Formats: sequence, C-alpha cells, structure tokens
Amino acid sequence: MRHWLRSYLLLLCWSAIRLRYLLPMILVIQTMMSIGIVIGFAFLLPNVDPATALHLTTGAPTLALITIGLVLAPQLVAEAKTAGTFAYNRTLPVPRTAVLGADITTWLVAGTPGLLLGLLVAVLRFDLTLRVSWLVGPAVLLVALTATTVGFAIAYAAAPPVTNMVSQLIVFIALMFSPINFPADRLPQWLQDIHRVLPFESMARAIRESLATPPEGVSMLPFLVLAAWGAAGLAITLRVMARRD
Amino acid sequence: MLHIDTLTKVYRRGVRANDGISLDVAPGEVLGLLGHNGAGKTTLLGQIVGLVRPTSGRITLLGRDPVAEPAWARTACSFQPQAQAPLTGVTARQAIEIVGRLRGGGRRAVRRRTDELLAALDLGEWADQAGERLSGGVRRLTAFCMAIVEPGRLVMLDEPTNDVDPVRRRLLWEQVRALAADGHGVVLVTHNITEAERAIDRVVVLDHGRVAAAGSPATLAAGREMRLELTGADDHPAPSWSLAEHREGGRRTFTVAAADAHLAVAWAQTRATRFSLNPVSLEDVYVRLTEEVTGDAALAA
Repeated sequence: MRHWLRSYLLLLCWSAIRLRYLLPMILVIQTMMSIGIVIGFAFLLPNVDPATALHLTTGAPTLALITIGLVLAPQLVAEAKTAGTFAYNRTLPVPRTAVLGADITTWLVAGTPGLLLGLLVAVLRFDLTLRVSWLVGPAVLLVALTATTVGFAIAYAAAPPVTNMVSQLIVFIALMFSPINFPADRLPQWLQDIHRVLPFESMARAIRESLATPPEGVSMLPFLVLAAWGAAGLAITLRVMARRD
Repeated sequence: MLHIDTLTKVYRRGVRANDGISLDVAPGEVLGLLGHNGAGKTTLLGQIVGLVRPTSGRITLLGRDPVAEPAWARTACSFQPQAQAPLTGVTARQAIEIVGRLRGGGRRAVRRRTDELLAALDLGEWADQAGERLSGGVRRLTAFCMAIVEPGRLVMLDEPTNDVDPVRRRLLWEQVRALAADGHGVVLVTHNITEAERAIDRVVVLDHGRVAAAGSPATLAAGREMRLELTGADDHPAPSWSLAEHREGGRRTFTVAAADAHLAVAWAQTRATRFSLNPVSLEDVYVRLTEEVTGDAALAA
C-alpha cells in the first residue's frame, strides 16, 4: 500500500509538472465553452422559460465535465501513445492502478474550476435559485469519473487517429443530440430510447437533479447507469494497460 | 543472475521473433546483444522485463520467474527502451529525479546521484531545459540517466547511444562499466559495435531470432584473419598471401591469414609510407557471422 501511495503521489507530481502550461488553457477553453452554452444557446431560443434556463444552467457544467473526460483526456492519451510515452510508462516499476489513479486525479482537478465557473455564469445570467442536494458532490464525482474512465478506455483500446475522431463525434453528439441542454421529450422516441442506455442523459440528470432537487427527490437510476459505464471503462482501461503481447 | 533457456516467442501474426534462445548474464557482467534490425533483440528484452509473454522456454531472473511476476520484474530490472522517454513539459533533471524516486530512491540520495550523472555525462547545460527543446541525443542520454539513476540488479539498455555525439558516447560507456563494477548485470543492445567492444564482456549475436554466436569479443575473433590497410600505395599486384583485396581511392585493404602477418608487414614496408595491420574488429566478425548464418539458411532452403 505504501508503494502504491508513493507511486501515485510521484506520478501525480509528474503530471502536474508536465501539464502546468496546459492547465490554464484547459481552464480557458472550458470556461468559454460553459459561457458559450449559457449565453449562446439563449440566443437560439427566443424565450428562455425557467425549465430551459434550468437545463442550460446545469447542462453547462455537465458538458464541461464531458469535454474534459471524454475529449481532452483521450486526446492527450492518444498523443502520449503516438509519442511513445505510453510504451515507456509501461516499463516503470509502478502499479498500473497507480498510473491510472494519478491520471484520473489530474483530470478531476483540471475539470473543477471550469465546472464551478460555468455554474456561476449560468446562475448569474438566469438569476436562478438552486435547491442543492448533498448528492451534488457524489454526482459531480461520478460524472467526472465515468467520463474520464470511458474516455481512457477509448483512448487505450483504439488507435490514436480513431480516438481523435471518436472524441470529436462525442462532442458533437453531446452538444447537439443529447438531452443535456434541453429536455429529453424534444427528441424523437428512438433517440430517447438510445439515450436511456448511453451515459449522456444520466450525466445531465444526476447533475441537474442534485443541483435543483425536484420535489420527489433525486432519482437513483442515473447513478446506477453511470456506475455501470464507469466500471466498464475502468475494466477495459486496466485490461489494456496490463496486456502483454 | 539472468538465465534464459530455449526461449521462443511467436507473435499472433506468426512472426517468430525469438527461436530457442539460451543465454546467461552474471552479476558484474556486460552482455552485448548484437543483431540486425528485426533479429529479435527488443522482443527478448520485453520478455525479461515482463512486457511480452514468451510462447515457450524459461526465464529465471535472480531465482524468480519474471513472466509470472511482471510487476516484480520491473523493479528488479531497470530498462531503457528504444522509444524516447516522455520529457515533454519536464526538464531532464526533473525526469531523472522522479524516476529515481519512483524506483524507491530517497529524495537526497536521488538528487545527489542525478547531479553526479548529469556531470559525468556532461549534460549540465541542458539539465534545466524543458524536454521538448532538447536534441535527440540529449534526450537519449537523459533516458539513459533515468534508467540508471536508481539501477535495478539487472540493467537493460536498448540502443542507448543512438543520436549521441562521439564524446558523450565514451562517457556513456564509462557509466556502463561503472554499473558492472558495482555488481549490476547489464544487457546492452547496440549497433555501435566498434565502440561497444570496449564496454562489453561477452557478446551474443542474434540472427532471425536465433543465437548465431556467443562468447567474448576475443574468442569470436580468434582464428580469423587480420586486416592490412595501406595508404598511398602503388598499383603493384597483390601478393599470393592476400586472401582478398579492396581498393578505395588511394587506400588498399588486404585480408591476411594470421600466420602470414609477417609476410604482409614486410611487403607493406616496401610499398607504402603508412600502413596498419589489425585483427578484425568485432564489427567485422559480426558482419561475417550474420552473413554466414544467412548463407547457411539459404543453402538449407
């Protein structure tokens, strides 16, 4: 356990040194994206009723987490694979889970400021009063973990060019065709059915309901869906990391 | 320390990268692993460090099985892979220190050892520059330091001198010898055969995944011819002791049987102002050996 913790902390330190120039840029991109969603989407919709405002407000931080976990993280892993870093790290005498743990922690930390800023901008813009549940912490953590582990699974299992294409596709689907910034009932039935299995709607619901708790309470189903996706992502990532030719 | 017994690796697509390889490395010994590209050297190292699973055969490292215990193998063995180390965003010094500490070294001891290595390889002026700005050679030397800052009992270096300038290559060979003097076993893959000859105790030549020859550089060269090289020689026809002649501009090179060396020197003294007679180098032996094996294989086919 001491070896694991020592490896984890040293790898975290390595990531922090390596990404210290990139992190401010990630923060700027995320903030701009959150602001873009909150302010830009309001232009598309002439009348922002309270339900729409709530979706945009809680959708912005959800998308911030998706961008970090399912787009930026896998793209950097793909880059690391191309540069040979992945192969090199496999030769280091550290537990694979410590490598993964350090990577996930880095992305969780990288995602937090953008998440908070996005939320702040939305609350100010729409003048909303949120009913925050204690589940908001676990919800944010679970969404971030699921996004990152699924992102890693894609990046570790697929070739780098495929990873880059898939991550672009994910942004596109998440932004335009997922019930994150708008209610699910606006989508055709078949797409609604697909979103019952995909993690995007569950991510949005877990965050929305824990930030603005409905009278009937926070639904647990999205948490279960996300836990299943997260576990699958983790299993695939660890399998690829430990694979021997 | 390391014992490999009839190791075979066949990849899924049917490529037979290692074919019945057996070899040993003792503590304090530097084993040179020579062979053409694709001869199976990197695959062999990958199996020892637990990254590649052998198809058959057995590896014993310090009495344990690295195939069954890959995590342990990575601690017992420090490895400089052929791929460049990840240095983007970190300085050479930071990368060396972090790996030293990841390998279990204490903060102060690692810092001291890093300073020593940076000085020994004359890397001081680049030590604190960001990795992405370093040249290929300096990056390679940094990766070398990362592998030996807190060395395992076995140290494996896969082409550590690629892109490195001649002066620092010598400094690197000195560090390899220092590792051996400290009792570490070293497996060294290199194409820089002429230089490595000074650092290597024993050689294993791999060809198409098989051991083509093994022994000390001297035993491999024993019984082989010598080489007479003349500069500014005339066009006098080659005497009968010449086994082969090669001419390049004003330079003539003859292959001579060791027993005829005195005849060759006597003749050379009358023909040229500058000449040298040398035993064939390890590189010559290597080229000959791999040609012989390939020739035998062609005959067998």
